[in-house]
Amino acid sequence: MADRVVLCIGTKKGLFVAEASKSRGRFSLRGPFGSGVAVYSALIDTRKSPRIFASSCNAWFGMKVLTSSDLGKKFKETKSAPAFPETDGRVLANIWSLEPGTDNQEIWAGVEPASLFRSEDGGNSWEMIAGISNHKHSKDWQPGAGGLCLHTIVRDGERIHLGISTGGHYLSEDGGQTFNAANDGVGAGFDPNPYPEFGQCVHKIARHPDAPGRLYMQNHGGWPERPGIGVLRSDDYGHTWQSIADGLPSDFGFPIVVHPHDPNTIYVVPLEPMTRTCPEGKPAVWRSTSGGKKWKKLSKGLPKHDGYFTVLRDAMTTDTLADPAIYFGTTTGQVWMGHDSGDEWNCLFDSLPPINCVKVAVV
Amino acid sequence: MSVSVQIPYALRHECAGKSEVEVNAGSVQDALTDLKNHQPKLYRSVCDETGAVRKHINLYINETIIHRVDGLQKKLEPGDLLFIMTAVSGG
Repeated sequence: MADRVVLCIGTKKGLFVAEASKSRGRFSLRGPFGSGVAVYSALIDTRKSPRIFASSCNAWFGMKVLTSSDLGKKFKETKSAPAFPETDGRVLANIWSLEPGTDNQEIWAGVEPASLFRSEDGGNSWEMIAGISNHKHSKDWQPGAGGLCLHTIVRDGERIHLGISTGGHYLSEDGGQTFNAANDGVGAGFDPNPYPEFGQCVHKIARHPDAPGRLYMQNHGGWPERPGIGVLRSDDYGHTWQSIADGLPSDFGFPIVVHPHDPNTIYVVPLEPMTRTCPEGKPAVWRSTSGGKKWKKLSKGLPKHDGYFTVLRDAMTTDTLADPAIYFGTTTGQVWMGHDSGDEWNCLFDSLPPINCVKVAVV
Repeated sequence: MSVSVQIPYALRHECAGKSEVEVNAGSVQDALTDLKNHQPKLYRSVCDETGAVRKHINLYINETIIHRVDGLQKKLEPGDLLFIMTAVSGG
């Protein structure tokens, strides 16, 4: 019976694992694992016996994938990490996303420079997915501030959505054999063409498994002359997108998260676009229960002032308990938990290294 | 010809804690190939997937950095020491 809540916290200095009972009263912390090396992606794989995977990407000495089969008490390296073919010429710089595949041994990885890899043996060997990694557009993609990264993989059977910064949203409807840019309505504030075919700086894409045709996107907003392009919704499997930013204090942000039990309820963390920090130093998560038609500020328990942190694209998530909690990690090393679907917040940890990603599972 | 490769502290965990390993090599490139075959984790930390030496690593033969001589093609002589040198920083 699932009775533990496990958090994986990927930081600039390694991976931490926190664990609590279902009451979520007190989280114990262990780590760092992969000490000293940045962790940008983690996966708590609950398809069979729980396993944790985490990228451990050393810009000097190369890439590793760490795995644990005891809920993060010990980690070991998988036999290999994603790597480009020797004759390809590209060199892997980071692993931005780890997602479960169909079979319980299948894992997908989104990497920098923007490419997609798949493992069919639990991360011990990897193959590059040419349909997107060698896409005809790929030579024209440009790196954003975080690098040229394929950071989001959203799978729905044969349908696969990818988020690339800066490449945009790509959609496969044949299990990853081929991909097409699907950015109708996705703006690019930095491009002379406000709505290019591809090249947008998509920050994150999310959906609810019960509503596969409905997708939400946090795009690179914050452009005074092109307002509202930062927070978007699609109701046709990502073929077209519409703004849902009206009512937010800023349409710039990184994560976007869907409530585990309601496809109409979503969360964003609006940031001031020039500094990428909380507007006026007053952190808040904003929630919509109407698919983005209306928004409500959630700040009870969060700092009332002087809170100038950033919440990165994979640093917010939600557990799946009946009364779910929302979690986010900050670039100032705090982990916050929002009880009652985000109505009230408390700080779980306040002095970790800068946080890149937060993942949670009930196991 | 057996040549000793000196391992920096930062990479010793990639070769069971050893401070040096022996390779059978007549050139620097041979030495890297030997590491690829017999110390793959250490090799992966020294060279990327294209086979290039990573940019934060320098290789020395005795006290001479190899790019000042013939690079990876430099011949190794009996008694040479091949040093793997990593950049250092903090933060």
